[in-house]
Amino acid sequence: MEPLDTHISRQYNVELENIRSLVLQMGGLVEQQIDQAITALVQGNQALAEATIVADYKVNNMEVTIDEECTQILARRQPAAGDLRLVLAVIKTITDLERIGDEAEKIARMAVQLAGEERPKNNYREIQSLGNHARWMVHDALDAYARMDTEAAVRVAREDRKLDHEYDGVMRQMVTFMMEDPRTISRVLNIIWAARAIERIGDHARNICEYVIYLVKGKDVRHISLEQMEKEAREGG
Amino acid sequence: MQDKEIQTLRSMIARRKRWDVIFAIIGLFSMLGGVITLAALIAGMAMDGAPRISWDFFTSFPSRHADQAGILSAWVGTTLVMLVTAFTAVPLGVAAGIYLEEYAAKNWMTDLIEINVTNLAGVPSIVYGLLALGLFVYKLDLGQSILAAGLTLAILILPVVIVSTREAIRAIPGTIREGAFALGATKWQTVAHHVLPYSTAGILTGVIIGMSRAIGETAPIITIGALTYIAFLPESPIKGEFPFVSFEWLSSAFTVMPIQMFNWVSRPQEEFHVNAAAAGLVLIVMTLIMNAMAIFIRYHFRKRIKW
Amino acid sequence: MPATNMSTLKAEAKGLNFYYGAYQALKSIDLPVAEKEITALIGPSGCGKSTFLRCFNRMHDLYPGNRYEGEINLHPDGVNILNPKIDPIEVRMRIGMVFQKPNPFPKSIYENVAYGLRVRGTTKRRVLDEKVEQALRGAALWNEVKDRLNSLAFNLSGGQQQRLCIARALATDPEIILFDEPTSALDPIATASIEELIAELKEQVTILIVTHNMQQAARVSRYTAFMHLGEVVEFGDTGAIFTNPAKKQTEDYITGRYG
Repeated sequence: MEPLDTHISRQYNVELENIRSLVLQMGGLVEQQIDQAITALVQGNQALAEATIVADYKVNNMEVTIDEECTQILARRQPAAGDLRLVLAVIKTITDLERIGDEAEKIARMAVQLAGEERPKNNYREIQSLGNHARWMVHDALDAYARMDTEAAVRVAREDRKLDHEYDGVMRQMVTFMMEDPRTISRVLNIIWAARAIERIGDHARNICEYVIYLVKGKDVRHISLEQMEKEAREGG
Repeated sequence: MQDKEIQTLRSMIARRKRWDVIFAIIGLFSMLGGVITLAALIAGMAMDGAPRISWDFFTSFPSRHADQAGILSAWVGTTLVMLVTAFTAVPLGVAAGIYLEEYAAKNWMTDLIEINVTNLAGVPSIVYGLLALGLFVYKLDLGQSILAAGLTLAILILPVVIVSTREAIRAIPGTIREGAFALGATKWQTVAHHVLPYSTAGILTGVIIGMSRAIGETAPIITIGALTYIAFLPESPIKGEFPFVSFEWLSSAFTVMPIQMFNWVSRPQEEFHVNAAAAGLVLIVMTLIMNAMAIFIRYHFRKRIKW
Repeated sequence: MPATNMSTLKAEAKGLNFYYGAYQALKSIDLPVAEKEITALIGPSGCGKSTFLRCFNRMHDLYPGNRYEGEINLHPDGVNILNPKIDPIEVRMRIGMVFQKPNPFPKSIYENVAYGLRVRGTTKRRVLDEKVEQALRGAALWNEVKDRLNSLAFNLSGGQQQRLCIARALATDPEIILFDEPTSALDPIATASIEELIAELKEQVTILIVTHNMQQAARVSRYTAFMHLGEVVEFGDTGAIFTNPAKKQTEDYITGRYG
């Protein structure tokens, strides 16, 4: 992948740099949404949860804006090679970012429902931990994207497995809660929905890492094992 | 832009355009100077000679009596000499031009030949006459014949034919030639099917311009010793009996139009001067007809070819 | 140069050097040309792509001071067409060419197409008629010109003239057709129809095309070779070259960067 700012057309440099930084901006916004949704849930802050739900439109708007920019570049510049891969990676990344935004919104909705209910003794420690994990994955994925760092991308993808294990643990715990005290079932179901959303965020973060590898190495690493992906990312390309 | 700036701009344009007008005026007068002089000459000659032109003028031999003298032997001589010239100069010149342009290696030799051919076109015609006198009349013993005169004039216009052939060939874009070669054509096929047909207009134009120069040439013909007073016609080229053609006429003595004129002009009697003017008029008309043919041919062929 | 899972080889350049006098225009070029596929040559002006193309029909033999070294082997017979013992006319009868600017002869449409056959000495009217129609159909021109075969080729539009030149090349059933920037003098619509035609032609003939227009190479070709300063920098599947080239020089060129 060549540096973006070396095209003969300076305007083209500007356009590519623009979509790239817009993705990072959108990523920042999405991270903030996750953070707020989980904080609202853990602290039972209904106002914050509602604010988070409303703010999802910003993420959606950004997706539309970046999509339009990419369409313009495709139509007017006919990008090739690395430039083409950048535009394609951006288009895919923003789809995943938008989905992450939706998941954050779901978590916030659960937070609204849980806010009125009795709080568990451990103060949703497991959700806090799971959420932080997912949030850092998104952060690191965007970081890998910003630095075009395939090693970092592979690391984040590996984290997704750990997140899945952690999610399984949370699920087992929730099932135990429901068996111990059936009165908690409706509340715990909401928590399960939130945990499920967090797990999905991790999947989307992994997708973004795959796009980074595609962008840098020109290799499609979707739907293959983690080990194979590591191998592909390390090879020259 | 400010009004003032626009004013400055306009006056600047006007200043520069003044030169257009000045040059147009100078050019117009230069052109008129040339054209009017020429027109006056032709008109003067036409006024002197026109009344003299009649059927008899074309069908009578020269005579001691100005009013009975005609140009029969002169125009027949001119026509036959031109025939020999054309039949010699065209094949030689065109072949030489094609060879130089298509076949000859491009090196210093070719360059040298090219320069010399171009220079030959500028050699004074009397020099050709002297050459012909030595070569054709004495060495080859052709005598003071139509053949000798025709060959002399052929040599005279050869450079013109060669140069115009080369120019015409060069005007054919290389891509046409390459197109033919790319289909597997040999060099000769390319020349015969493309180069020659597409340059015909240019070649013919050059030939005719060369011929109209030759038709008025006097010096070389006098040099080889053409007679000024001929009261007979050469043998007819077409015979009543087998083999129907004869080349007797080639070795016949002859005279041509410019020599006939020269002869008449050098006489003291005023009546012969009128005859000379009339003959001059006929010669000019012959030249004009040839030039018109050149223009027509060029137009006709160019219509089909757009590079 | 890795020619991954390439179909049958039609021609192959091996260690080809070419000199214009003392100037070396092509430097040890190796390139496979797949049979009945389209191979594109791209690269900046002066990179030698046209020079290379014109080696395939020995066009350089027409001008003095040109010299080849190395081989271009034509398969299946394996004849090295650069061998001085091979008559360039033989090569040109097997390999046709379409030029940058449409160059029909100032003759009738019919005579233009028939010319290659006439050169070979075909005079039978019936054979000529049949071949001319077949070639014009092959060049997608028959329906437009069938009623005016005897009118001058110059009366056709630029795009039609170029298709006529393609028909002219097709009429002699060449094994390879070389296209030297065939659309550079045409408008986008005519260009599209020529590209479509070239894509169809690959069913019957091997095609080697030089183009200035990278998108054109991307659109029509199966394989692409990127040339720079007389060398083949990269050769490969067109899809791979345009999404993920292996060499930095290639990437710089196709993405419009400073070389």
